Amino acid sequence: MTKEIAGSETHSKKNDEEHVRARQSGGMPDFEKIENSSSFRELMSRKKRFLIPTTILFLGLYLLFNIVISYTTWLNATFIGDITWVWVFAFGLFAMTWILVTVYMRRAAKFDEMAKATLKEFDYDEEEPK
Amino acid sequence: MNVTVIAIFVFIVGITLVITYFAAKRTNSASDFYTAGGGLTGWQNGLAIAGDYLSAASFLGIAGAIALFGFDGFLFSIGYLVAYLVVLFIVAEPLRNLGKYTLADMINARFNAKKVRGAAALSSITIVIFYMIAQLVGAGALIQLLFGIDYIWAVLLVGIMMTIYVLFGGMTATSWVQIIKAVLLMIGTVILSFLVLKNFNFNILEMFTQMKTATPHGEAYLSPGVKYKIPLDTISLMLALVLGTAGLPHILMRFFTVKDAKTARSSVMWATWIVGIFYVMTIFLGFGAAAFVGSDLITATNPAGNMAAPLLAQALGGDVLMSFISAVAFATILAVVAGLVLTGASAFAHDIYGQIIKKGQATEHQQMLAARYASLGVSAFSILLAIFAQSLNVAFLVSLAFCIAASANLPVIIYTIFWKRFNTTGAVSAILTGLISALVLVSLSPSVMSPEAGAAIFVGDPIFPLTNPALFSVPLGFIGGWVGTMLSKERDLKKYSEVNVRANTGGFRQL
Repeated sequence: MTKEIAGSETHSKKNDEEHVRARQSGGMPDFEKIENSSSFRELMSRKKRFLIPTTILFLGLYLLFNIVISYTTWLNATFIGDITWVWVFAFGLFAMTWILVTVYMRRAAKFDEMAKATLKEFDYDEEEPK
Repeated sequence: MNVTVIAIFVFIVGITLVITYFAAKRTNSASDFYTAGGGLTGWQNGLAIAGDYLSAASFLGIAGAIALFGFDGFLFSIGYLVAYLVVLFIVAEPLRNLGKYTLADMINARFNAKKVRGAAALSSITIVIFYMIAQLVGAGALIQLLFGIDYIWAVLLVGIMMTIYVLFGGMTATSWVQIIKAVLLMIGTVILSFLVLKNFNFNILEMFTQMKTATPHGEAYLSPGVKYKIPLDTISLMLALVLGTAGLPHILMRFFTVKDAKTARSSVMWATWIVGIFYVMTIFLGFGAAAFVGSDLITATNPAGNMAAPLLAQALGGDVLMSFISAVAFATILAVVAGLVLTGASAFAHDIYGQIIKKGQATEHQQMLAARYASLGVSAFSILLAIFAQSLNVAFLVSLAFCIAASANLPVIIYTIFWKRFNTTGAVSAILTGLISALVLVSLSPSVMSPEAGAAIFVGDPIFPLTNPALFSVPLGFIGGWVGTMLSKERDLKKYSEVNVRANTGGFRQL
């Protein structure tokens, strides 16, 4: 695929259609087969293993923080000088966000590879994005 | 009005119009108009998301709230930032893999039913209109203060600018206005933060010590509870903020402007860093304004505290910095409202006209015409509403928009991606239950009904005690979706396999 294209969308559309036609003689790909393949199931289980605990963790910490500051004065205790724990916890939520985003970016690169491999297994190749 | 203000102001207007001119040349198809042809890179789209997200409520509102209420003002910053994890983990990639221009596209990748698309378009339009009124009314009041222009002319000025960007330059112009605005906003905020820290001798500990005595609140200023005294109300508001972002249509639309899920992901990463650093700096802006401007002057200029940042610039950097910060505030408003107009137009022109009325058979030319007429319509309608709403207290509409996004859009997004049994009845009832319960509960809440005359829209005792109903309306949205699904026998497991594979692999995008 070397020819210049106006929009990536029309391009991949053509590409997809070609692939699908070439493979299925006009029919739809068998998504259930892909869904039940071991490679796709592995991808999903890895995704879930990462996403479910981290989502529970960050939403939990966030809600905990709001509940604690709404109902108690625990975090008004001093941390250093006149900085109280409430500011430390708040900044901790900022740090948590940045850390989880960074960790996810790394994990997602792995998910991408697995997704690509799954697609390849079923004869579907996304062209390299230009 | 001095020469510096006018010069900076003309410069910003000029540069955005030049961008619009070049963008207009490149806007030849519906895909260009709605998604800039999907050609933005990760950092560009990340900056544009930040530009779309950091509204005047963020820049001026949070700085003012921290200046007046200390820690409680900072709560918004926390909620707005953590929300990006929800966007990244749950929404961004499936949305890019399944959708074309709008949220309704994504849900319809699974259902392909008019009523589902109609319901999704309705909730998007409602959110956009509320958000827009809050922005435009705020903009009118601000520009009146900053440049001494009459409210009506100020609203018209912003309204005409946003219409020009969207009408001629579509998403390409809107994106670049947002990118430039994000850069200007960061520069302005860094300069202000630096000056504030310099005045505290670059000593954070000393800053906190001084803040204990700098405001009328005394030591309480540094602790929660100055502004938000009702625990359930605080928790409900914070829930709306953290879950709402992932359902805001104008933010969701920004994931269609990139070529694939991977770029959508890196956009969120960029946005999270930019937005996060900005929100950390809101502390310095707020503390600085409280210490070096003083709450008396801040509230005398604007009771809600919206002038804290410009006044701080005046106090620390004189007229030139004040002019620059005012111009940044103006650019901030423009970028946000342009994004809103485009989103509203996409719901009308693409979802309702293109897909429901024309059943997806509209020609490219018809689509472009519809998009442009819809942009004009959305702009005109919002400007009219904003002119009528001048004397109303509409600041709560931003939180309400977040609440509707969390209650009406998030449940249907999550069910569409993750729940095999989900069906069209469930999708419609999830959206409508969330939307209606949020609207009804807000109209009965203290935001709309207050015993004090002038504090809210109607005078009377509120029937529902929470100012933000998210704590009730979000679960109701989820329950509504579940009940609707169970009431209908319809299910299409084959279709779910397709959606599941496409959402998670990014393949087969054009089927």
